Amino acid sequence: MSVINRRIRGFRLVDLIALGLLVLLIMSVYLAKTIASRERAEIASVERQIAAERAQIRLLQAEVAHLEQPSRIERLSTTYLQMGPVAVAQETTPETLASLAAPEARR
Amino acid sequence: MSLAGAITRQFPFGLRWLGASFWRLEHAFERARASGRVEDDARIRIFAVMLCFGVCFCALAMGAAQAALFASPARSGGAGWTPPQARADIVDRQGRLLAADLLHYGVYIDPSEVWDIKATRQALAQALPGVTAARIDRALSGGRRTFLAGGMTPVQKAALHRLGLPGVTFEPEQKRIYPLNRTASHLIGFADTGGEGLAGAELALNEDVRALAGGSAVVPLSIDLRVQGALEDELRKAAQTYGPKGAVGIVAHVHTGEILGMASYPDFDPNLASTASADARLNRAASSVFEMGSTFKAFTVAIGLDAGVATMASTFDARTPYQLGYRTINDYHASRKVLTLVEVFQHSSNIGTARLAVGVGPERLSRYFDALGLTTAAKVELKESASPLTPKVWNEDAVASTSFGHGMNVSPLALTRAMLPLLNGGKLVPLTIRRQEPGFRPESKRVLSETTSAQMLQIMRANVTGGSGGKADAPGLSVGGKTGTGEKYDPAIRRYNGKRQVSSFAAVFPTDGPLENDRYFVLILLDEPHGTPETFGYSTGGWVAAPATGNVIARIAPFLGVSRHVGPMADQPRLASAPSAIEEAL
Repeated sequence: MSVINRRIRGFRLVDLIALGLLVLLIMSVYLAKTIASRERAEIASVERQIAAERAQIRLLQAEVAHLEQPSRIERLSTTYLQMGPVAVAQETTPETLASLAAPEARR
Repeated sequence: MSLAGAITRQFPFGLRWLGASFWRLEHAFERARASGRVEDDARIRIFAVMLCFGVCFCALAMGAAQAALFASPARSGGAGWTPPQARADIVDRQGRLLAADLLHYGVYIDPSEVWDIKATRQALAQALPGVTAARIDRALSGGRRTFLAGGMTPVQKAALHRLGLPGVTFEPEQKRIYPLNRTASHLIGFADTGGEGLAGAELALNEDVRALAGGSAVVPLSIDLRVQGALEDELRKAAQTYGPKGAVGIVAHVHTGEILGMASYPDFDPNLASTASADARLNRAASSVFEMGSTFKAFTVAIGLDAGVATMASTFDARTPYQLGYRTINDYHASRKVLTLVEVFQHSSNIGTARLAVGVGPERLSRYFDALGLTTAAKVELKESASPLTPKVWNEDAVASTSFGHGMNVSPLALTRAMLPLLNGGKLVPLTIRRQEPGFRPESKRVLSETTSAQMLQIMRANVTGGSGGKADAPGLSVGGKTGTGEKYDPAIRRYNGKRQVSSFAAVFPTDGPLENDRYFVLILLDEPHGTPETFGYSTGGWVAAPATGNVIARIAPFLGVSRHVGPMADQPRLASAPSAIEEAL
């Protein structure tokens, strides 16, 4: 008797194997889908958090850019700190620092 | 020839195996029938059908597994989804944010879910002052979910959400924001709500800005926000002092053609572009054309030197007005003497320049103007770049007029582009609003010799140290330049009106050092300025534009890495002494 025609309690072996495989397949697909959907939900939640954080960062970057616009900084520094553009007399190089300090040292 | 033989010869192994299997299966039915085992025939057929179904189901299962496990977030509308109107960020050359898409929210009302219409109406009217009561009523009395208002910031949305109004829902939307408001507004431009650029860099670089949307890539512009800030501030101060109709400021790198700063006054807030007037939205640096006046003398002198018509030592008789055909050409402040070429430049002598231009000749002068790009719209990415108005016929009259900047209208950007060869060794480069890598040198066309360019740097410096550009000098820097005062044609009186002027100053710094050194061009232009008691009523370029130019240069030099020296500079050209009359002729 071939394996195909062999019967166990009236059921053909091949049918039982196919049924078993089918149940296994259904179970594995169910489990895979369930686990995948749970993980997808988790991933989606994290992605939403990332997107929200990114949106917040962009908002803050735009806010910083808005607050740092040159005309505003200039107005504030002039009004509250009495600052102005750097005059040439206030500018020097590291090489000339020593010669600038020399009169002070002599004093 | 048999079918099997043909298959063997013509098809690859895989197909041959498939064909052979099919024929073996088909012959199996015949073999079973021949041997009298009819049941085998049916089983084999059922097996074959099951096999087909099995293969199909396997394929479907694999597809379903792939869809379930590896579906792309974009297709599922997840976090990585990019809205169709999205645009990439625009930044300055150092990465400072100039334009960005920010998350906003739209408010929707579903009347079927609203419990208390009166309370909802009252709450919405208070929370959304920009929305009319009629619109709220229409949304509340409608039969379906309706859009009420858009562009809500997350803070506004949270405030409205806290009211807990049933039937009021929110949907995310992207909105283009310009965080610097009026700063560099004409250069950055603006885009519509559909994500299409309408002006400035938003329009000029629209394809790049759209293509890079959704990723982390940004579109860097050539401008330096620090330079832009100083330029706008000085331009605004000059505009407030002299009350012009409009004003323009440009800073450009002479070798790369990069625009480091560009300002147009009056300006506007691109966040409220639709409410700004057309006059405020007008980019005068690119879209307006002016008769530039004496800044054109720099071109005439350069052409005269380059064509070999004149040398630095050539002299021109400016003792009497110059009669050219039916025209008599006078100097603004007559010096009544024979001038050297440098003195012609320093005195801004119309007579000397016209004599030089006539020596160059109409054909040669127009060819040089073509080569300098003065007869075409400035080559730059900005779509606003305007075409010039040029003489219809290049005769001696046109030559005399254009030699000192009359009879020809060009945009400030076109003037900038044409000035660069005079200052960079003679190469015509395209202007650009895109940031370029350090050391970048664009494809260029030689239009002047290096010698001419070096001489022009000397002459322009001499004009600041001892000529009409004295008020543009910046302490510790070698600034060169040329004043320009063009009278405007007045249709009401059908001639040029001496009281309506375009006053400008075209400067370069530093003028010292080798030709290939980094060097910067600065243009300040005021359209119809008014003189003040401090300027003795004068509103010419030397009085109103040159000081602003000097201030801009003094402020931006440290940002651009141009060192300033307190002591006298060793290699500054001093070609001529400053005549006292110059002060008047500013």
